[in-house]
Amino acid sequence: MPILELDNLSKTYGSTTALKGLTLSVEPGSVYGLLGPNGSGKTTTLGIALGVLRASGGTVRWFGQEPNANNRRRVGALLETPNFFPYLSARQNLLLAADVKRADPRTVDQALDLTGLGTRQHDKFRGFSLGMKQRLALASTLLGNPEILVLDEPTNGLDPQGIAEVRDLVTRLAADGKTILIASHLLDEVEKVCTHVAVLQRGDLRAAGPVHSILATADRVILRPAPDTSIATLQQAVAALPWVSDLKPEAAGAYSAVLATGHGPADLNRALFEQGIALAGLEVRHRSLEAQFLELTR
Amino acid sequence: MFRAELRKVLPYRTVWIILLLFVVLLALFVSAGGSVTLNGQRVGATLYTFPGLWQKLTYVASYFNLLLGILLIILITDEFQFRTFRQQVIDGASVAELLQNKLLLSGLLAVFGMLTVLGLGFYFGLTRAADTASQATVGITGIALYGIQVLGLLSMAALVAVLVRRSGPGILLFLLYAWVAEPLLRFSLPDSLDRFLPAKVFNSLTPLPGQEMIDTVTGPSSALLPTEALPLALVYTALFWGLSYLLLRNRDL
Repeated sequence: MPILELDNLSKTYGSTTALKGLTLSVEPGSVYGLLGPNGSGKTTTLGIALGVLRASGGTVRWFGQEPNANNRRRVGALLETPNFFPYLSARQNLLLAADVKRADPRTVDQALDLTGLGTRQHDKFRGFSLGMKQRLALASTLLGNPEILVLDEPTNGLDPQGIAEVRDLVTRLAADGKTILIASHLLDEVEKVCTHVAVLQRGDLRAAGPVHSILATADRVILRPAPDTSIATLQQAVAALPWVSDLKPEAAGAYSAVLATGHGPADLNRALFEQGIALAGLEVRHRSLEAQFLELTR
Repeated sequence: MFRAELRKVLPYRTVWIILLLFVVLLALFVSAGGSVTLNGQRVGATLYTFPGLWQKLTYVASYFNLLLGILLIILITDEFQFRTFRQQVIDGASVAELLQNKLLLSGLLAVFGMLTVLGLGFYFGLTRAADTASQATVGITGIALYGIQVLGLLSMAALVAVLVRRSGPGILLFLLYAWVAEPLLRFSLPDSLDRFLPAKVFNSLTPLPGQEMIDTVTGPSSALLPTEALPLALVYTALFWGLSYLLLRNRDL
């Protein structure tokens, strides 16, 4: 059973449509990246899922149930900015959050240690830097050992060391079997830690699925025909293969094409050979998630 | 869940400053009242004699309730400003629970107001009109009506805070309604109707001392008697909290 299911979710603000029928599901144990440029609907999606924004249409289900306070307590979430009482210390804020979550107050110490805030726990929130605030928000999400973490731009305001620490923390939690839904701009980070991604653009879902399959659709094969092969023959042969598309010339007499899911370079080599076309070279050019993201959101 | 509410309120300096201000200003006002001269005569100890002291005190205290209203507006609008209502819903609180906490808090503020009036009443009554001490408990039930009045006014403050979501405009709207808008509305409405307006209903719970005497000169007052105002005040209180809940539940946080 998916931990979170969004079905045909939509949201409008006046005449602006922020989400257009978004459907996706987050399976237990996955690390799901929600990607999209500013204004793509990531935070709106998470806000609706977490019960602080009203959907204009569609449904949300947590743990197979209608959203309610009980199932939200099984979620640890950071949405946009860290939200705490400025006149309270880090510890007081976490104790308050633990009360709301019905979590054991003793988990406050663990959360402070995990996020490196132990020595600053008695300092007021208002005196914290953005990075410290973000750490406190992360500490708050860990209270009560939630089954899923929902993190909206968790590395905002963190320095490179802080970003690496968050990435390590997310990786560690994921390795422990924690389900994580993470919205981020940092595609390199997402590619390193996520098992699944969804790409949003202006409220539309552009792609969703396991990271390897999203990236596979972005991979291109580079073909180097033998010197005696005419271009027309190659084009004709490729056109006869319905699982090969977007054949285009590359540098130094090479060509590139995209293979449909389920077909590999070996299939292409075999199919061309059967049509009497010999290749001098064949390789796969992998694209980064960033390149694929830019392609999808162009 | 109310423990979480206390965790927010108890360390908040603004809360203690306003509560202290409420006690000190009321005490100073009551203390200074004895030196007031009416028609060339000092009011003196007659102000503090039991059992009339309770009605005088609750009437005077009703003017200071606005401070408690302002405090509740600050506490509620802070939650919007700091986005902590939003965070607590994310963390697993329901909107009903959050509002229930504010309702309980307003109950605590009402108890605080009642205890303040009770304390000041006994202090001034027993130190400045000790000869009437035997009647100290007569009419003391008026303090319960004062408590209902505080609760009612705080329900109005809560509604304004949930509606406006920002402390400055919220306080302004609250004061404007209590001091300007409703009095103007009363002006344009017939007496038979204006006595049912919320602030007037709440005020009717602590009537002006000596109103009966004034009535003999100016004719009977159109204001409701405290016993008549009580059920209406409770209805308004429930209505305002109910509206606050609907507003909070149906709007984005």
